[in-house]
Amino acid sequence: MPDRVQLETLIASLILLLTVFELIRRRKLTEEHAFLWILLGATLLVVSIRADILAAAARLAGLANPAAVPLVVAVAAMLIVCLCLSVIVSRQRKQIERLIEETAILSAELRDVRAVSPVK
Amino acid sequence: MSRAVLCVIVAHNEAPNLPLVVADIRSQPEALDILVVDDGSTDRTLSVLPRLGVRWVQLPERMGVGSAMRAGLRYAARNGYEVVVRVDGDGQHRAADIAGLLNALDSHHRADVAVGSRFQIEQPVRRSQRVLSVVLSLVTGQRVTDPTSGFCAFGPRAMRILAEHHPTGYPEPELRLFVDRNALTVMEVSVRPRSRFHGRTSLTAGRIVATTARVALALAVVPWRRRVREAVRA
Repeated sequence: MPDRVQLETLIASLILLLTVFELIRRRKLTEEHAFLWILLGATLLVVSIRADILAAAARLAGLANPAAVPLVVAVAAMLIVCLCLSVIVSRQRKQIERLIEETAILSAELRDVRAVSPVK
Repeated sequence: MSRAVLCVIVAHNEAPNLPLVVADIRSQPEALDILVVDDGSTDRTLSVLPRLGVRWVQLPERMGVGSAMRAGLRYAARNGYEVVVRVDGDGQHRAADIAGLLNALDSHHRADVAVGSRFQIEQPVRRSQRVLSVVLSLVTGQRVTDPTSGFCAFGPRAMRILAEHHPTGYPEPELRLFVDRNALTVMEVSVRPRSRFHGRTSLTAGRIVATTARVALALAVVPWRRRVREAVRA
């Protein structure tokens, strides 16, 4: 039974890593954001090969049921990914604001300049 | 007062009000330059603007008052102005009160920011505003009588700093926190309120919850932020 689960998680993590690789190859995912997913895939891969890490983690965290560990880890990983995405979106929001303000000022200055020396 | 002053009128869908607001500013004895910042209007504002005889900056999307003010302040800083007065496009700010705001920035009073307060004499009517003014006064250690006033004037230093860092969202209370955090001096000036010329306020009941949350967050966070440094480039 544990071997089958191990095989499944191994395949899942490989599919994840390959998907991420393919997305980067097609430039649909920039490298900057890809590291988040590569890290996640690699962690999953390591855990699927060395299942005893999970058992050790369960003992360390004081969890009675070792089966709960992957769940806890998965939820934590998702939260971290979501938080990272929020930070990225916030940064982009700031960049867009700045960009829109800047284009607005530039087109106003262009209008001012044209009013002084019209282009035909 | 010989400093170059730019009145920045922030407007979102204020086509019927803009000519009145501009005329009001022009009727003042002091010669004041005017810049309209159109915050992504979807009404007739775009056809009204060229006929007003003022300069304008048009944001292609609606970005909010804070972002519009940053654009206006940056425009002012780049074009050699030293003082910026924010006037709302709905007509609730009387141009006659601008002189009082500018007085607070002069060599005698030396304030970096002058804020027009509608409640220097009387208490705010809304309880939420009373609570906010008490809380803001406690946090900043200064008397804040009108926490949501958008009628204000910025001196050279405030203009340069806020051109980069003017808060967004529902920015007026957060601006008071930001200004206090960055050791800019504020002076409140009594102004007479006026109801907007045409149309309705954009502050609906549904939005009040969201703005309250944002202000509460700002109260908790802004005093712990790092102070900003003045940008070197103009």
